[in-house]
Amino acid sequence: MINKLPWWMGGILMSGLLLLTFSIYGADRPIGASTYVPYASALIFDLDPEKYSYINHIKDAGSWEGVMLLGVLFGGFITSVFITKSFRISLIPSGWKRYKNKSIASRLLWSFISGFFMIIGARLAGGCTSGHFMSGMSQMAISSMIFGGVVLVSLLITGRYFYNTKEKE
Amino acid sequence: MANIMFIADESNATVTDRVFRMVENVINMEHGSVALVFLIGVIFGGIIQYTRVDKFEKIAGFAMLKDTIVPKMLFLAVGLTSIGLYFMIKFGGAHYHIKPIMLQGLIIGGVIFGVSMAIFGKCPGTGPVSIAEGRIDVLVGAIGGLLGGLVFTLYYDDFFKSLMGDSLGKTILPDFFKGDEDLTTLIFGIAIIAIAIAIPKIELLDEADEK
Repeated sequence: MINKLPWWMGGILMSGLLLLTFSIYGADRPIGASTYVPYASALIFDLDPEKYSYINHIKDAGSWEGVMLLGVLFGGFITSVFITKSFRISLIPSGWKRYKNKSIASRLLWSFISGFFMIIGARLAGGCTSGHFMSGMSQMAISSMIFGGVVLVSLLITGRYFYNTKEKE
Repeated sequence: MANIMFIADESNATVTDRVFRMVENVINMEHGSVALVFLIGVIFGGIIQYTRVDKFEKIAGFAMLKDTIVPKMLFLAVGLTSIGLYFMIKFGGAHYHIKPIMLQGLIIGGVIFGVSMAIFGKCPGTGPVSIAEGRIDVLVGAIGGLLGGLVFTLYYDDFFKSLMGDSLGKTILPDFFKGDEDLTTLIFGIAIIAIAIAIPKIELLDEADEK
């Protein structure tokens, strides 16, 4: 079995999944992947919905995405173990070692900080790569195009200045 | 449909009880059975894992312009879906679920999200796949994300809500071309597919995978 699907196959399959999810015979809703995070926070830290209005606000989307997330973890695990055979415990990506530094502590600290702010950013914008870029742009939503444009610029500027992109010999 | 309740006592519910309540919510919503929602997740995770677009080298690699698989795949998926979905909605097979234009939230959130995505090399959809394939650094990032979600929830009413600004409506592109909605959609979809094909294919490979 090939160990990696080409990008066009991935795009076609992802499109099929989006259409199935949107369809009234599927879930009659878009795919999203950032609302489950504050939902999980409320679940773990036992926040009172009476006190914090955001919990009621995201109750439906959060629980739907929460169940989907369990599927994502299962699907990702099975695929990495049995199909791509890429499952391995690792603390630092090769690309980080090559273009940033070789320090595990540095990678873990930056992961923690960027993970924290990523969710703040996604919730401020009301979506992420899945909810805005894929599901929103597929509906030709102006909000998602604005989000996509801003993310693209800020992603590329950060990539340019955060890493040492000059090829090391 | 009768509401299904697993948990009767609200006062001393444990984390497990709250997970059951999450499942219960999905059962009581009309957005697919629990099995279907789980299956959508499995396929989503499977596609991302099998195309390897959750890798740091793919996402941070794109930020460094050393890999273009992620935008090629994303644009292709969006282009194809936009045409299919438009006609599905037109013939009653689906509905619009548009996010409102909250300019401040979109711009501030988008900047923060883009910076974080370049550094983390993951996003909320690809992160769980990386955790599932054993990446501990991403698990640490997810703990950061859970705290981010906690802070957002705690300060939503007092701070974040006003930072997001007011909604300017749920406009979509065809709204600007009344009478030519079909054509607008076809041009949009084909243009996005053309962009996906036109982006030059560059790949940053992970030497750890090439053994």
